[in-house]
Amino acid sequence: MTMSKEVVINVDSLVKKYGSLAAVNGVSFTVNRGEVFSFVGPNGAGKTTTVEILVCLRGLTAGKATVLGFDVADRKGQQQIRKRVGVLPQDFNTFDLLTVKENLSYYKKMYGHGMDIGELIRLVDLEDKTKTLYKNLSGGLKKRLAIAIALVNDPEVIFLDEPTTGLDPKARRDVWDLIEGLREQEKTIFLTTHYMDEAEVLSDRVVIISYGKIIGDGTPSDLILKHGGNTTLIVEEGGEAAHELLRKTFPDARLENGDVLVPLNGKSDLPEAVMMLNGNKAKYAELIVRRPNLEDVFLNLTGKKIVEGELH
Amino acid sequence: MKRIAAIIGGALRMWFRSKSTLFWTLAFPILLMLLFGAIFSVSQDPRFDLYVQNQDIIDNETTQFSDMFIEMLNETGVLNLKMVDPAENATKYIDVVGAERMLIIPKGFHQSCLTQNASVILKMVPPEVDTSSATVRSVVYQRVEYFNIVTTGVITPVVVTIESESIVSESYSFIDFFVPGLIGMSLMTTGIFGAVGWNTRNRELGILKKLATTPLSKFEWILGVVLYEVVMGAISTGVILTIGVLLFDLRVLPNIYSVILIFAGAIAFPGMGMVVARFVKESDSADAAANAITFPMMFLSGSFFPLEMMPDFLREIAKVLPLTYLNNGLRDSMVYGNVSSALFNTVIVLAVGIFFIILGSLITNWRED
Repeated sequence: MTMSKEVVINVDSLVKKYGSLAAVNGVSFTVNRGEVFSFVGPNGAGKTTTVEILVCLRGLTAGKATVLGFDVADRKGQQQIRKRVGVLPQDFNTFDLLTVKENLSYYKKMYGHGMDIGELIRLVDLEDKTKTLYKNLSGGLKKRLAIAIALVNDPEVIFLDEPTTGLDPKARRDVWDLIEGLREQEKTIFLTTHYMDEAEVLSDRVVIISYGKIIGDGTPSDLILKHGGNTTLIVEEGGEAAHELLRKTFPDARLENGDVLVPLNGKSDLPEAVMMLNGNKAKYAELIVRRPNLEDVFLNLTGKKIVEGELH
Repeated sequence: MKRIAAIIGGALRMWFRSKSTLFWTLAFPILLMLLFGAIFSVSQDPRFDLYVQNQDIIDNETTQFSDMFIEMLNETGVLNLKMVDPAENATKYIDVVGAERMLIIPKGFHQSCLTQNASVILKMVPPEVDTSSATVRSVVYQRVEYFNIVTTGVITPVVVTIESESIVSESYSFIDFFVPGLIGMSLMTTGIFGAVGWNTRNRELGILKKLATTPLSKFEWILGVVLYEVVMGAISTGVILTIGVLLFDLRVLPNIYSVILIFAGAIAFPGMGMVVARFVKESDSADAAANAITFPMMFLSGSFFPLEMMPDFLREIAKVLPLTYLNNGLRDSMVYGNVSSALFNTVIVLAVGIFFIILGSLITNWRED
């Protein structure tokens, strides 16, 4: 895909403090038009605070931020930003007793302009639920409607704050498909998430934030290449015997919950390890080769894992 | 304007679809009318206001018999006498202060006592519609008899008689006096509960945050909510009046002054609710917060029984409660036909409404700091 390099979001040394606590501490990044940009980190890292500053819900303490060229700290700039961006706030629910169509019409009237409601309903695949009350929708359909509400003014930039939190795997996949569809329309999407797989699958670019500071910035593949570490051979249920055997050649091999994890450094490592196991008739359930991913990137950068949004 | 219309239209649609809200909005005033109408139509209390104008003055001094009669009235401890300047026009004075009963001691009273044909004039709301008036009248009669005994030494012949005059031009029933208070209370509960509940619930759902990311301003949101509550207030008032006419032979109906006053009340209380909502974090506590405001006001503002039945310190509190002025104004306009007093109360309620809407706009947490 060809992508223009027009910068639509520019954040420079952004700081947000609550008393002495810096929720966002000197953050800088840019987002280009038409890209899916993921802002990734655990709960409390400063993701939502940054988004809320960019959509003019929150003031900043220091630094500068512009959206579509308008200063978020300037009153007139804020008016322009509100007209031209779409926002799905974290944990957003809309009016229970309005139907899908009525909810969309309600928010469209707040802008006075926007997408055709029928077209929007088709876009999020809710055509057979047009007259269904919001309270009667499933969790996944509610989220789809919430995203449609974020699109109701036909925005140039869409902010989706944790759009899949709390959804079951099927509903998460549906939201991913929806975001993929928006990418094809060349909408700029600013996505915050603590799901590394989500960021990896959906994003053109990822910025990782932890404790209010950016610790990684790049495309998912660049980040993985740079910080992801090695491909790993997993010897499932290999146990102590396989571990002892492999350590002779692979001193970094480690035992975790009965599985043996062997970091592979060179092309010959994998066949050599397999030959050692089979030649010595070692017992194991299965051999799995796992490539590094963004979770490994985060682990290598911070020494911690994110589990359900929390650091471990 | 389209945004405000969208807020009102959306809220009305949701109200209509919420069966429990719909039921209680309509049933609450009806239940109150049935219950309180029955309870308070027979209640009494020992202390009542009585305006007294002593016109019997000679050489700038009140006369001996008129002073004696007033002193006898005062001795009962039942009446709270409020002296009126003799230069005042009694009828106008009643209109201005909204007095429900006034005793006039006419010029020449002292002299008439000497010839045993004196009289005093008692103007009051008819006892059949205001039970307090019945009590006051019986106390005044009893004092007249006592005065007769003291001044002549015998029970007959009567030297002082009462000329009763109603200060209400038509004959009304108790429900006619009760309904304005019920309308006032209904406007208050609808407005405060509605605004507090609506705001806290929408904040909890993230709807306020979402709306704050749109071009909708905080003032437009508040105005939308307040005007929606005006519609709710109008519906409640309509229900009360309809039931009153159909079941209780209600005779008082809103005129242009009471319509303005109802509008003023309908914006004042949601405005107040928006201010309260600023300090209520969860929807679970919204009802408790609204109750804390509405319950005392309901009983201290003369919705169900006369203010004069309350101790002095509570009457002082009532003076700062907007519902007091709404109730007084509605009775002035609907029952007593006292336009000047109704307008005075309208101005106060309207000013309170505007004040709270502005205050709500200033302090509502629309966007974070």
